[in-house]
Amino acid sequence: MNAIESASLRLYWPAQRQRNRGAGGLLIVVAAFLALYAYLFPGLLSVGGVAKFAQSWLPLAMVSMAQAILMLAGGVSLAIGAMVSLGAVIAATTMAGPLGVAGGAALVMIAGLGVGAACGVIVVRLGLPAIVVTLAASFIVGGAALLILPRPGGTIPAWLSDLLAGDKPVAAWLVIAVVVFWKLYLATPLGLSLYAAGENPDAAYRAGVPVDAARILAYAVSGLLATCAGLFVAAKTGSGDPVIGEAFTLNSIAAAVLGGVGFLGGKGAMRGALAGSLLLSVMINVMYFLGFPPVAHYIAQGLIIIGAVALPEFSARRRAL
Amino acid sequence: MNPGEAVRFPKVRPRALFASRPVLTFLIVVAVWIGASFVKPGFGAFGHLRYLVELGAVVGLAAIGQTFVVIAGGIDLSVGAIITVSAVGAPLVALAFDESGAFAALITLAAATVIGVLNGLGVAFLRAHPMIMTLAMATFLQGLLILLAGGSAISAQSPLLEWLGSARPGGVPAGVLVWAIASVLSLLALHATPFGARVFALGANSLAATLSGVNVPATTVAVYAISGLTAGMTGLLLLGMNGQGYVGIGDPYLLSSIAAVVLGGTSILGGSGTYAGSIPGAVLLVTITGLITVVNASPGWRSILFGSLILALLLISGREARRR
Repeated sequence: MNAIESASLRLYWPAQRQRNRGAGGLLIVVAAFLALYAYLFPGLLSVGGVAKFAQSWLPLAMVSMAQAILMLAGGVSLAIGAMVSLGAVIAATTMAGPLGVAGGAALVMIAGLGVGAACGVIVVRLGLPAIVVTLAASFIVGGAALLILPRPGGTIPAWLSDLLAGDKPVAAWLVIAVVVFWKLYLATPLGLSLYAAGENPDAAYRAGVPVDAARILAYAVSGLLATCAGLFVAAKTGSGDPVIGEAFTLNSIAAAVLGGVGFLGGKGAMRGALAGSLLLSVMINVMYFLGFPPVAHYIAQGLIIIGAVALPEFSARRRAL
Repeated sequence: MNPGEAVRFPKVRPRALFASRPVLTFLIVVAVWIGASFVKPGFGAFGHLRYLVELGAVVGLAAIGQTFVVIAGGIDLSVGAIITVSAVGAPLVALAFDESGAFAALITLAAATVIGVLNGLGVAFLRAHPMIMTLAMATFLQGLLILLAGGSAISAQSPLLEWLGSARPGGVPAGVLVWAIASVLSLLALHATPFGARVFALGANSLAATLSGVNVPATTVAVYAISGLTAGMTGLLLLGMNGQGYVGIGDPYLLSSIAAVVLGGTSILGGSGTYAGSIPGAVLLVTITGLITVVNASPGWRSILFGSLILALLLISGREARRR
């Protein structure tokens, strides 16, 4: 028993170190941007400032986690944005109705889990490429969102909007709650299998890891996170919009890649993806604050993503010389 | 008969022919056309089928570059943005002395190729994952487009674009003619040149390709440049057919180009496939889209139908071999 424990400890820290590789530079950049933001906008360092900032960060953090889970499991999703829209319109059409907030929230979660699991089954069991399946799914899910709510509208109960997007830092607590849930998920057998199933599915399968189940569950959890992000977006704006999620697809991939999560599965860690989403979020806030036109956001975002991907490559090459 | 001859001329086996993906996709197209013309009388008319192939030319042109990139083991998610850039940009570079519009078209195609080259440089030298590089490029171009066009539609009048959009030399639409020439050229490049062999080698195993002396960076840049060029041609053709370019005109062609490639039997993982499959794949896609318009559904249902039909077709024909 003791031998096993010491062996697992011997494996644990190197694995953690490997997952942290490259995250140091990112954290410095994030800290620099946060400092700049706090310098420009001293109000950030108050309860209200933290609350407002967490509200703008939370949806991006959730979709980045949704994307990172899939990338860790060796997949990818181009349907994240559509799922966010779906969550938003379901919340906006059900919560003010007879189902109430609890029923609406349950529906949002069921839709996320169900659609995610369906994508997972098609990708994992039927052997279709994830890119194409999720691209097709983005059309189906986006169409469903348009059917539920053809044009922006619907309502979210005012008290819920106040609770989630008011002056109290509820969103900040939610970020922490999501991270805690992620840690709990990683501690379950299927969560433990996630990295193995992504890094080397063949070896994991032969070692007795339930590869298919772990990957399908990853798709389901990813869907859940995306639709819950949609719920939050709807609560923040007070109504639903069938195309509000579109930008999240690219941003989720960008945040995960900024955070060092690799496309081939098993590489990187959730803390990296969270840091990546934090960087994007701070960056957008700083640009708004400096009065950049929206056009500049697209251009800057494209450049920063490429730069962030290229920098590690250059530093690795310099180290190799 | 000596054995050497038998190797050079393998016997034609009908079963193998039916198992070939391009042929299979072609048969699906024929089946859908026959089925649809029974259900809807006007569908099988020559004029309507010619119109479908004309629309197929747009998707097919975009799929040329996508086929090269996918076979080389990458993916180009900036196709839609490049199409939009060329459709919106071509009217902007129209100059007074350039009466035929050929000069503007050349500039546009050159710009589209340069965008493709930049994609390739990013993938080859910055080692950015193709999906990231091209998505970032698409985001960048989206910003650029809003700067260029300011969100309004830009109409274009030049003899060349008019010819592209509406001329029918010998009863064949000009767009289909361009598509046919481009298809022959790309099939030759892919299957009958050393370059084509290098593209396949790169997609099958880039490390092995490097060790075998393939210039991997140059080949990578070349396939993305081809993708940029064909996306630029798609944009010009769309502009000719539509009469005006607007932001978002190219967006639907991203999924279509990838779906056409995958429906045609090219592996999304790279290393195997042929453009010969993407041709019926493109026609199949526009046929589906045409059928959905016939149903006269709301935008939501149309989107759902489109996605579901692509998924269903992939389940019939597009499955990757299970890798375990």
